[in-house]
Amino acid sequence: MFRPFVFIAALFCLLAAPAFGQQPVPTPAPGQDIQLTIKSGVARRLTVAVPALDAPGTAALQAQVTDPFTATLRSDLEYAGAFVVAEPALYPQGYRDPSTQDAADRWLGTGAEVLVDSRGSVSGDKVSIEGRVWDLKSRKLIFGRRYSGGASYVERIAHTFANDLVKYFTGKPGNFLSTILYVTEHPGSIKEIEAMDFDGRNTRTLTSHKSIAINPSGAAGRIAYTSYVRLYPQIWTMGLDGADKREVPTGVDLNASPSLSPDGREIAFAGSASGNADIYTVGVAGGTAKRLTTSRALEASPAWSPTGRQILYTSDLTGTPQIYVMDAEGTNSRRVTFAGNWNDEGSWSPDGSRIAFACRNEGDFNICVMDFQTGQTVQITSEGSNGHPTWSPDGEKIVYSSRRSGSTQIYTSDANGQNKRQLTKGGNHYQPSWIP
Amino acid sequence: MQRKLTALTLVSLVAALALATGCKKKTPTTTPEARPPVTSKAPETAVPPPATAAPRKDVESEVLSKDIAEMNKAGYLTDAFFDYDQSDLREDARTALAADAAWLKKYPTVQVLIEGHCDERGTAAYNLALGDRRANAAKEYLVSLGVDGSKLRTVSYGKERPFCTESSESCWQQNRRAHLVITAK
Repeated sequence: MFRPFVFIAALFCLLAAPAFGQQPVPTPAPGQDIQLTIKSGVARRLTVAVPALDAPGTAALQAQVTDPFTATLRSDLEYAGAFVVAEPALYPQGYRDPSTQDAADRWLGTGAEVLVDSRGSVSGDKVSIEGRVWDLKSRKLIFGRRYSGGASYVERIAHTFANDLVKYFTGKPGNFLSTILYVTEHPGSIKEIEAMDFDGRNTRTLTSHKSIAINPSGAAGRIAYTSYVRLYPQIWTMGLDGADKREVPTGVDLNASPSLSPDGREIAFAGSASGNADIYTVGVAGGTAKRLTTSRALEASPAWSPTGRQILYTSDLTGTPQIYVMDAEGTNSRRVTFAGNWNDEGSWSPDGSRIAFACRNEGDFNICVMDFQTGQTVQITSEGSNGHPTWSPDGEKIVYSSRRSGSTQIYTSDANGQNKRQLTKGGNHYQPSWIP
Repeated sequence: MQRKLTALTLVSLVAALALATGCKKKTPTTTPEARPPVTSKAPETAVPPPATAAPRKDVESEVLSKDIAEMNKAGYLTDAFFDYDQSDLREDARTALAADAAWLKKYPTVQVLIEGHCDERGTAAYNLALGDRRANAAKEYLVSLGVDGSKLRTVSYGKERPFCTESSESCWQQNRRAHLVITAK
């Protein structure tokens, strides 16, 4: 199913976008008097009207460009958590310029505070879309940008526009062009690494070692993972599209749960010499690994802090696996989790203020979220056996695996457990890792 | 065939015992740990069995004339089984490994891969580390009994390559093991 060319082309389109594709629309700059910024943690959602993309053309164009663009934009904004999309059936026909009182009133009548207008034109296989965002009370244009690209990537253009809207209104990066890496199980204990969009769509296969490839994580445009393709487990890295696979020699055994540092220069991992797993780091090109933990206990599951200054890890030093933190040099280690008899697979929120982890007291594993300063912990799942949580780029969502229906599947939810979505179906999929 | 039957009997007895005693952590009773029916009925003291225990009825010339797949199928080597979340060698594991050591010393050219396996409970990363411990515990014991360590390699599969995929203690016990595979002769 994986078509490298198409994917590379999509990537190119994406990479090229900031340089050529996005141009500010020559319209008035945002007024200083408009205060629409939504602060993090404020429960109120902004109601936005998102009329269909206004693009002249045939029915075929409608199906290929207009409908997917509009559906993607509405779905993204609903998913973002900061917006409510006003009921489209209530929208007035026309009136796309709400600078007059009459037009603005018609939109305000739908319950919307903001109008997200979009107009497109298609020439050949290229599409150009202009997004305009109006504050309806003040009747002022507050955001405008032009996007262009191949007509077949109209959904990516919608995602890019949605990311810009999230950034404009919340100050945080949107999730809509982000990727979730995960492991898919095949018959005969074969495990391969796959990737999908943030919403579970556009799945693609990144490894075909026909072996055991597990524990993907990503940073700085690379993915690190463990593969048994050479019989003994080794760390490998690859590009986000699965190309350019490289072995990372470490000089030690086990080579489990590799975690790329935020700058992509180092890999922290669980290594072993004679049956005692410890946390090591090694340069991304491989070499002599540096041992960071020295206890006789078993250590695993390292995860870098967003600044790269600290590493979370799991140790069974006290008899049960618990999460610890240490400086990236292996110094100043201290225990972080105290409740329950098994806490593991820690993951830092993008702003470093919280950690998510797999937690268990009795029975099944759940997902817990802890405020890193206060230690206050909330359990955000309650059914099935759950594991391997990681954070969305904006820190609002968590992806995790759960076996709550006989098979293991990947779910996302808000960081408080609400708005749960199942992203994968059929077979078994696990060890998700959300990367920008 | 003989070995297969013995292995099957052993497996089912382990399963039955395991079911009867339950998981160690869930039922902290005084019942002895689940173990296969080893011939020794000695008291529960940790006396390592003699290195010559359980002589195998095989003819040397025949053994090494087989190809490696056949040698593994013949079951010359017996796996060591573990308790939940443990890498200490149980008495039955020591007995099995002592017999393995005796056989390996008889065929000193044979090379063995010791795979550490775990049951599905717990996280993948932790189980990889635990499987590593189990494989190395088995290796160290074989070396202590005189097996040439350079002929032994270890690998951990954690819970990634289970022998049995049901969620039951009898199945989990099957997956908590050090599995010995002949890789060269």
